[in-house]
Amino acid sequence: MRNKRMFMLMFGFILLIAVIGFSLSDRKELTWPEKFVKNSAAYVQQWFYKPAGLIAGFFEEIGELRTIHEENEQLRLMAAAYARDKITYNFESKENERLKDELSFTKRQKQMYNYNYLIAQVVSISNDANNRSMNINLGSKNGVKPNMAVTTVEGLIGIVSSVTPYSATVTPITELDEASPTFNSIAVTIMGRENESFGILSSYNSETNRLLMTKIAENDKMSISDTVITSGLGNVYPRGLVIGSVESKQVGDYGLTYTAAVKLAASFDHLTEVFVVQNPEAEDASE
Amino acid sequence: MSMNRIILLMLLLFIVEGAVMPWIIPGNFGDRIIPHFIFIIVIFSALYSGRHRALLLGASFGLLQDIVYFGHLLGLHAFLMGLIGYYTGVLFERRRATIMMAIAVIGFACLLYDSVLFFIYKVFRITNDAYAWALLDYILPSLFLQLAFALSIYVPVRKWFESQTMANQEKDEE
Repeated sequence: MRNKRMFMLMFGFILLIAVIGFSLSDRKELTWPEKFVKNSAAYVQQWFYKPAGLIAGFFEEIGELRTIHEENEQLRLMAAAYARDKITYNFESKENERLKDELSFTKRQKQMYNYNYLIAQVVSISNDANNRSMNINLGSKNGVKPNMAVTTVEGLIGIVSSVTPYSATVTPITELDEASPTFNSIAVTIMGRENESFGILSSYNSETNRLLMTKIAENDKMSISDTVITSGLGNVYPRGLVIGSVESKQVGDYGLTYTAAVKLAASFDHLTEVFVVQNPEAEDASE
Repeated sequence: MSMNRIILLMLLLFIVEGAVMPWIIPGNFGDRIIPHFIFIIVIFSALYSGRHRALLLGASFGLLQDIVYFGHLLGLHAFLMGLIGYYTGVLFERRRATIMMAIAVIGFACLLYDSVLFFIYKVFRITNDAYAWALLDYILPSLFLQLAFALSIYVPVRKWFESQTMANQEKDEE
């Protein structure tokens, strides 16, 4: 009897190692049982997540009733500024198009930064502290592919790690880690100085809740509270997505480059709508 | 309460855990208080319904969670839930646990579950945090939620599992 128990335990352990090995291997797509289970779970979960959010949101809104007036005023100011900028933007983009035509850009080059934002609903959040993946209700049938960036209105929250026909899993940016096999580093720059600043977001420190930006050049004029955006140089993340703000800057490990701590702009609490950024460039590359 | 109904309720709980709990937990504690409701039911089944049932429930619901929230590794939750459920069942095979006993066992089981999960992730270099920090940051805060939940469902869940085992025994005698 004891022997049988030991045998079962060893068998289970070997099975665990085998399955972990299988899941760690670099696989491009999920197997069909996984897809089926994920799809059906996401289908049921979306009936629960949204109503729960609506009810919770109702109570939050009652609490926020006081601050809404101030917020409105700020939004009005922003709308006015936006209307002014829109006019300049229209002129500049026309001009830009004309110049591109004159320089005879190829079609791919012209479409390069023409991102498409798909709106998706979060349907569930994992209850594992070291794997806080989220499921969203768009899948490969809607054009979502692995490695697409996912943002909220505030900023980047993660990338799509796996897709099924009708749902997708998002790995949050808080799992960013150089040593981890599942997440790539992000090339970033500073809003307003896109051509001068450069850095690489290499890891997330969960003890301080800050991202670590490394490989900043010595003569970089990056300063505290600058807005960090993706530079699009890595070809995984589209350019121009807000990530956060620089909080502190210090000399790096070898004294040759600087490192900075970046505070995330997006919050992971009570997420509802997120945007999946479709990158036309990536689509071309995969075809 | 038949086994089918128990499984149905557990499926519902699984959905609630992923889709409703994020809304109930207050804003700033989103990644500090993490529910493990299914695991608690598995431990209850080990205490009041026997080790084999706990092993089966733990392994199957663990696998469900592994697949639905696949991020890094497959099979971890299935293995841990099954194993911890089974050995709790072995420990409590011959005695009936009282309420204090059950809550204490669930507390220790949750600590063990979270700690082993943490160390496995550490081995595969998916997390770089120190264990002491993880303990204070999320393992202990979520333990309170786990205990509160276990306490609130103790009476009905014990009734389900005991009536279910009783019915089975009668069937065997016949």
